[in-house]
Amino acid sequence: MTESIGIVLGKLAFVLLFVLNFGGVLTWVERKQSALMQDRIGANRAAIFGFRAIGLFHGIADAVKMFTKESFRPANAEKFIFTLAPAISVFFALIGFAVIPFGDKLLLGGTEINLQLAPLNVGVLYLFAVAGMAVYGVVLGAWASRNNYALLGGLRAAAQMISYEVALGVSIFGCIMIYQTVDLQEIVRWQGGYWGGWLPAWGVFLQPVGFILFLTVGIAETKRIPFDAPEGESEIIGYNLEYSGMGFGMFLLTDFIETVMIAAITVTLFFGGWQVPYLMPDGFHFPWGGTVELANWAVAILQVVSFTFKVIFFLWLQMTIRWTLPRFRYDQIMRLGWKYLLPISLANIVITGFLILMLK
Amino acid sequence: MINVHDKHKPLTFIEKTYLPAIVSGVLLTSRHFFVNLTRHILRAFGVKLKNMAAVTIQYPEFLRPLFPRLRTMHRLTRREDGTPRCVACMMCETVCPAKCIYIIADEKLENPQIEKMPRSFDIDLGLCVFCGYCVEACPEDAIRMDTGILEISNYTRNGMILDLETMLSLEPMSSRYVQYDRGGEVVSADYIDERHRSDA
Amino acid sequence: MVKVTIDGIEIEIPKGTTVIQAAEQAGIEIPRYCYHPGLSIVGVCRICLVEIERMPKLQVACYTPATEGMVVHTNTEQVLEARQAVMEFLLVNHPLDCPVCDQAGECWLQNFYMQHALHDSRMFENKVKKSKALQIGPNVMLDSERCILCSRCVRFCDEISKSNELGIFNRGDRAELQPYPGTELDNDYSGNTIDICPVGALTDRDFRFRTRVWYLSETESICPGCSTGCNINVHHNDQRTYKAGGSRVSRLKPRYNPDVNEWWMCDAGRYGFTHVDADSRILAPTRSIGEEQEMSWGEAASEIMTKLREVISVHGKESVGVILSPQMTNEDLFVARRFFRDGLGLKHIDFEVAPLTTGAKDDFLIKADKNPNTAGARLLGVGARQGSGMTVAEMLEAARKRKLRALYICHHDLANGFAVDVVEEALTAQDLVVFQGPNTNSTSALAHYVLPAAAFVEKTGSFTNYAERVQMIHTAVTPLGESKADWQIFRSLAKEAAISVPYFEAEDVFQALTAEVEAFSGLPYAGLAGQGIALRDGQALPESETVVA
Repeated sequence: MTESIGIVLGKLAFVLLFVLNFGGVLTWVERKQSALMQDRIGANRAAIFGFRAIGLFHGIADAVKMFTKESFRPANAEKFIFTLAPAISVFFALIGFAVIPFGDKLLLGGTEINLQLAPLNVGVLYLFAVAGMAVYGVVLGAWASRNNYALLGGLRAAAQMISYEVALGVSIFGCIMIYQTVDLQEIVRWQGGYWGGWLPAWGVFLQPVGFILFLTVGIAETKRIPFDAPEGESEIIGYNLEYSGMGFGMFLLTDFIETVMIAAITVTLFFGGWQVPYLMPDGFHFPWGGTVELANWAVAILQVVSFTFKVIFFLWLQMTIRWTLPRFRYDQIMRLGWKYLLPISLANIVITGFLILMLK
Repeated sequence: MINVHDKHKPLTFIEKTYLPAIVSGVLLTSRHFFVNLTRHILRAFGVKLKNMAAVTIQYPEFLRPLFPRLRTMHRLTRREDGTPRCVACMMCETVCPAKCIYIIADEKLENPQIEKMPRSFDIDLGLCVFCGYCVEACPEDAIRMDTGILEISNYTRNGMILDLETMLSLEPMSSRYVQYDRGGEVVSADYIDERHRSDA
Repeated sequence: MVKVTIDGIEIEIPKGTTVIQAAEQAGIEIPRYCYHPGLSIVGVCRICLVEIERMPKLQVACYTPATEGMVVHTNTEQVLEARQAVMEFLLVNHPLDCPVCDQAGECWLQNFYMQHALHDSRMFENKVKKSKALQIGPNVMLDSERCILCSRCVRFCDEISKSNELGIFNRGDRAELQPYPGTELDNDYSGNTIDICPVGALTDRDFRFRTRVWYLSETESICPGCSTGCNINVHHNDQRTYKAGGSRVSRLKPRYNPDVNEWWMCDAGRYGFTHVDADSRILAPTRSIGEEQEMSWGEAASEIMTKLREVISVHGKESVGVILSPQMTNEDLFVARRFFRDGLGLKHIDFEVAPLTTGAKDDFLIKADKNPNTAGARLLGVGARQGSGMTVAEMLEAARKRKLRALYICHHDLANGFAVDVVEEALTAQDLVVFQGPNTNSTSALAHYVLPAAAFVEKTGSFTNYAERVQMIHTAVTPLGESKADWQIFRSLAKEAAISVPYFEAEDVFQALTAEVEAFSGLPYAGLAGQGIALRDGQALPESETVVA
């Protein structure tokens, strides 16, 4: 079964719009959510014809500003790499979404469409590979700036991201051991089952420790508070020091895209992805007996909406954490990563494996 | 609750994971988030609320009331005949920790009771730290910081320099200050009421 | 010798010493207003009251001679109370003028109030009004309200300047210091009354309101106004450079030296520092052939040396005249001697230009020779009288006849000593005229090259006064513009001529000078600071040897 180019392009457009819009809106969410959490109003001044739209235009204003602002390059900077680095950063943040399934199968005019951009059977490994590349944009940008402060920021970023990548990989081994697959669509389908006939078999119930570990490490990978030592925008300044205009904007956007990415992976691995509780491909089958018949397209829409709302929840959670916790010191970050998260992840694997053998 | 006050008391294992603290913190901030969100939505639908959703004062439109002791831009006072009270004794210049006051003295022989007056009196607001020592040091009550002017900005460094004529022409802006009566009760504070009109 | 005990300190002092002097020797300070060691004693201010055992009442320390076995207490409760009472009394009619008063900061009323009084005013009556801001002389401004009637200035005019201009008139709280009717305080030493006035009654019209005294720094120096070499302190304004039109030197004050000027200096010297910050200061080496053009020191030195060598090679060493100046320090003159005489082998070197109008002189401090270092120049042998070369007058004559082809003139305005047309004719006939000095003058206007020399407050060095006392001047302010000390200018010229002048500091020059010049041999450099060292131990030169026209 092959999908036509049109369908692939359609899915591509959907995923890109999904991600980039979330990324853009997150700049607004960040301002407004933090304002609400702190009893403030938040940015509300950008207006079109006096119409303020609760500050939504600030994102547009930002974009206009960043595109029109001079993209300054220091005299001694490595011209090619300096220009390329933000693009590398955004590119690797974006392509991860290719393997995230946002729905099951949609039957459209006899064609079966897999609601996943790239049905890769090594999806999880692909994600790790992409996440591993994310550090390059940052380090190259910092190095090419020819600025000691930027370079130090880049080194902090490299150390942090590489350290946490280890824990990132190890923390979801438990899941993979249970799901027995690395194909993300298969993983989501696996979570369609129920325990005791009513509890959705989501990864979070099987791997609560793995979930907490993954979320922590994931937030660290986004380089946002409380793990923003590489950037430290308010005090210590970081790898993006010499960037202005859209170069800086792309680094900023990378952070937001990575936030969406972490939310999407968390949902996929631990919260059943596009699964809606009790929704089978032909409609709802409630454990207490009732059924609601639904057409295939309706089921597909429900799945996509379910996935979207789960992602939104995790975006909200990440924002809340970002605006609640203070920044870790660099040594604390390193200690947490190597001395706590990694050993706990390893222990999690051992215990999970032991339990799997026990229960077989 | 997590122990945050007694640093000599060792943390328990649960506390050491930081998870309870993180959860309670997230709950606290989330509560603010949802309560304020609800209030904003209710206000958008025209429901009158006792509590405000935000404490923000919408700045250029609404101004904060200033308290009488607040130090704002300098001014020089005048005698009854309109000449500056300043006698160029240079106490303010001497005491100024930022060294931002520049006085050049002149002789005023037509009135030997005064003798001395400033020929030029410049304050570089770009250097000023608004400590108010100049006001305290002045033996003639010639310099005050009660103009209520806080918005001090300019396109050039030289534009930040206040000269004698400018400072003599400034007046105290009492309306922007909170007025108290003898009992310490607030008598007038026009801007306090205004801030209730601030909006998202 | 008598033995007295002051506050438990036993000291032995010559008979006739007063208690206040004895206390000073014992290191105990007794406040005083009217007492001045250079003036007669009147005992009118009463602030120096001390308790003397076996005397029924407090005694004034300034007027009581110390006698054998006397036991004095300066710190008892009774004394302190009396001091406070005297202070309160002195301040009864004293106006609260401190903000406008130039004395503020060096006012003895302020100081002693803080040290001894600190009382709250009990004065409810109106203060007595007297004349304020009264110009009683060309240099002095009187404010009678501030006067505490210590009569120091009156005694100064009676005893030191002997001009008797001031008196105290009326009685009680209407008593007032005034010049005698029809006179004004106009003598050659009137500025000293400002120094000795302990309060702000007499202030300096020149210094008036220019800056505040606490902004000033102090550097020891020697007055360059005449050959007396009065010891002075240069008060310069380093902190608030925008004051007084940017002038760096604010005033000169006499510095105590019992062997030279005691506590005094003349007005001509006191106000004679204006050239230091004048517009006529030369700021950079300048070439004035055709168009005036500023140059760097390197350019100037190599150009001047090239031309000088050219003149020497064509017309011989006899064709160059060097006119040094007794305004230059011993160090400057020594390096000049080393460069011109020993290095280049020039013969015609002189420094003495007798002024057309004889300088004013008196038998106290003012000398007719208005140069601070004539004696030094003579001892260094850089004059025609000491060598075999031409005098300045002969040089100008030879220059006019083009026997001399190059002139190197330091500091002098030759128009002061010769007719203008003589100078002009002589200088215009030259192939090369170099002027070196701090300020432009009619001679520099005729020069081909003008080199900026540091003024006396901008360099370190020593002057030898008329009595052959070697005294130090110190750098108070940094040289203006590109200017350098004269000896440094000679050094840079010598470098171009490959003549060794291996000195880096004025001290190096002085060490070489003491080693090479017999008159100065053995002078310790460290001993020069402060009071200076007399070469002949106080023996003045006979009048005939000093230079007058």
